[in-house]
Order: sequence, then structure tokens, then C-alpha cells
Amino acid sequence: MRKFIIVVITVLAIIALMSAFTNKEPINKAGLGKLLFFDPILSASRTVSCATCHKPSFAFADTSAVSRGFKNRKGTRNTPTAMNVLLQTSFFWDGRAKTLEEQALAPIENPVEMNLPIEQALLRLQKDSKYNELFKKIFNSEPTRENLAESIAAFERTLETSDSPFDAWKFSDDSNAISASAKRGFVLFNGKGKCVQCHFGADFTANEFRNIGLFNAKKWNDSGRMVVTGNKEDIGKFKTASLRNVAITAPYMHNGKFKTLKEVIQFYNDPSKIIPDAVNRDSLLLKPLDLSKTEQKDIETFLISLTDKRFITKKKQGNNSLIKH
Amino acid sequence: MMIIIALLLNTITSDKITGRWETKKSPKGNITGIVFKEDKSFECYVNRKPFTSGTYEMNADTLSFVDTGCKGETAKYRIIFFNNEDSMKFEFLADPCTERKEGMSRMVLGRIKKNLL
Repeated sequence: MRKFIIVVITVLAIIALMSAFTNKEPINKAGLGKLLFFDPILSASRTVSCATCHKPSFAFADTSAVSRGFKNRKGTRNTPTAMNVLLQTSFFWDGRAKTLEEQALAPIENPVEMNLPIEQALLRLQKDSKYNELFKKIFNSEPTRENLAESIAAFERTLETSDSPFDAWKFSDDSNAISASAKRGFVLFNGKGKCVQCHFGADFTANEFRNIGLFNAKKWNDSGRMVVTGNKEDIGKFKTASLRNVAITAPYMHNGKFKTLKEVIQFYNDPSKIIPDAVNRDSLLLKPLDLSKTEQKDIETFLISLTDKRFITKKKQGNNSLIKH
Repeated sequence: MMIIIALLLNTITSDKITGRWETKKSPKGNITGIVFKEDKSFECYVNRKPFTSGTYEMNADTLSFVDTGCKGETAKYRIIFFNNEDSMKFEFLADPCTERKEGMSRMVLGRIKKNLL
């Protein structure tokens, strides 16, 4: 009898050990959210997933000025990075979503993105034995609007980065982590360049809405935040983007107008050179910054130093110049 | 003699805040921290992400500082140590920056021992 008990216990232990190594199913909300994020099941055509536009290699942003979604339909705004959203207080360029959960569902229903009504998405997930089981395990419920949003948002909240050369310099006090040029750039960022006045905080955004001068009511006619608030003062305002990993999230601005960081800095140096007839441009940008070429380069070098090491390693393998922070 | 005592007090208080301090995890899971350095500079961070830095001075129990936010305006707070000087909080004295004032007033920091880093 004793032998039998020992054999049973041993067999059970082996089974438990094997299942620990072979069970790749997500065991929590974020794990489920990750599956959903990469699964085209949430688009009408079953060809578009969140990751189609939020590409992991590019800090969960897109490389196109505006992304293409369902049936190759073209969006109207640049895909922002889905990383470092934990501390954000509003979502989308115009801030129309107040929570990450609210944000998570919108692209699924958007006709130019995934074009699938949430009710249909839920039916699909309920019919899918894998998802149905996972939702029951994690939420003790079948897929619902709420727990679908909760899962995707939980995954997005895991996409935090805090291991850039800049972080090593500031958090770990490693004075060699960034170059002299990047350090000068940081001083300019906080001073002459005025960048910090909008890009303040742990993710380099004060979570505000600003009109930087990319609206002239003619060719440049996206009125941004005003559509959400109905307030005329908000015309042409967009959410200040996070600058973490900014070197790999080109193109830039709500419309993807600028292809490089150099172009962005040149624009801020004298916005009226690019769009002379801008309407309601922020008072911070009414006068040229008068940054020299070297100063502009220093700011660019500083911005590159905000790239998380996980991306630098990848770029190193591909001999990309991003590593010169 | 008074000057010497004042300088001595200053040094002792300065030494007391030098090092790394952190809040407990907030309900949203965030941890805020400050590193007061010996060269009178400091670094603030949230979840290991630096968000502002600046310089500070200690005068007895009063902390004066400027940082990269709040348009470079100086703030003054009285530091209240407790729990065997392993914890501290800030009492408002002067700060023209409303957002910073709100953050400072509710912050309670605990000293992080070097071997815990």
C-alpha cells in the first residue's frame, strides 16, 4: 500500500511538473489580453489585429504616416505607441477615451480599422472554445464587453519601459550611460528648447492637449480636440505624445507629417517656416527657438537616449544607427 | 559659535535626507521615489522612470528646491522625519506651483537601504 501511494504521488508530481512546462495558456488577464491583441479574430475580415498597426518592433507604433486597416482602408491619424500608457489620463490623439478600457474597444468597431461590432466580436469569442474557456477561467464568465476591454487594457499596461540609457543615467546614476551630446540635449530640452513645458513627466508628456501649429483650416484641417470638447479654444489641439522610444516610432505628429526626429526639431525651431498660416498656435511656439544646428543635433541625441535597451539590442543586431545615443 | 552650531545642524539634517527614498505602492500600483544626492542635486522618478530633477538646499528642517517643472520656481517645505528617521513627509511652506504642491503634500517616503536597491 505504501509503495502504491509513493508511485501515485510520484506520477502526480511528474504530471504537474510537465504541465507547468507545457501549458502555454495565459493564466491572467494580461496574458489573455496579449493573445487577443495579436489575434485577427477581432476584425471583420479576420486579417487585422491590434498588432497590425501597433507593431512590437517599433514600440507598438506604426511606420506609416497613417495606418491601413480593414480592406486596406486608410486611417486619418498616425498610430501612437501603445507602450507606456500606465500613467496616461486620456487616450487617442484627441483624448476621446478617458480610460484604457474605453480605448481598447474602439479600434475593433472602427470601420476603417477592424470593422467588427463588439457584439459580433463577443459571439466569435464565445464560439471559440479556447477563448471561451480562458474567459471562464480568468473571469468566471463568458466573454463580455467589459472583460474583453479589461483583458486588452491589462496587457497594454504591461508594456512599460524604463530601461533606456537615459534611465540608467538618471535612475542608476551611471554618468557614462549617455553621451555628452545627449546630456547637452537634456539641458536644452529643459531650457532653451522649451520642450519640457509640454513633455514633462515620467513618460515625457504632461498629458495635455496643445496646438503646435499643424492646423490652418485649409490643407491642414484636422481640428483635433475641439471635436471632443466642442470648445473653440481647442481647435487644432492634440495630445502631447510620450517621448519614450520616440526614435523608433517615426513618422511623427498626429498626421505623421514628419519622417525623422530631425524634421520634428527643425519644425519646432521655427514652426512658421513649415506652416506660416497656422491657426491658434500655442503661445510657447510663437517665436522661433533659435536653436543652432549643433543644439538641434544634441536634442536629437538626447531623444534617442530614451530608447529602451530591448530595442537597442535588436537594432544593434541589424547595425542600425539608433545605438549612437 | 552660533554660526558653527547652525552649520553643524545644517550638515546633520542634510545628511539625514541624502540617499534614496520611496513611497509605498499606490492603489494604482505606482511607486514614486526621490534620490537626494550629496552634491545637492536630486532626481525624482515614478516606477523607476525619472520625471524631474533639480537642486536643493537644507536649512535646519526646511527644504528649498527647484526642479525642471513648474517654470523653475522655488518651493519650500518643512521636512518631518518619523519612524526613527527612516520615513519623512513634507509640510507646505511656500510653493507657487499647484500641481507640485498637491503631489508633495500627500507624499510619504521611506528610506531605501542601499542593499535593497
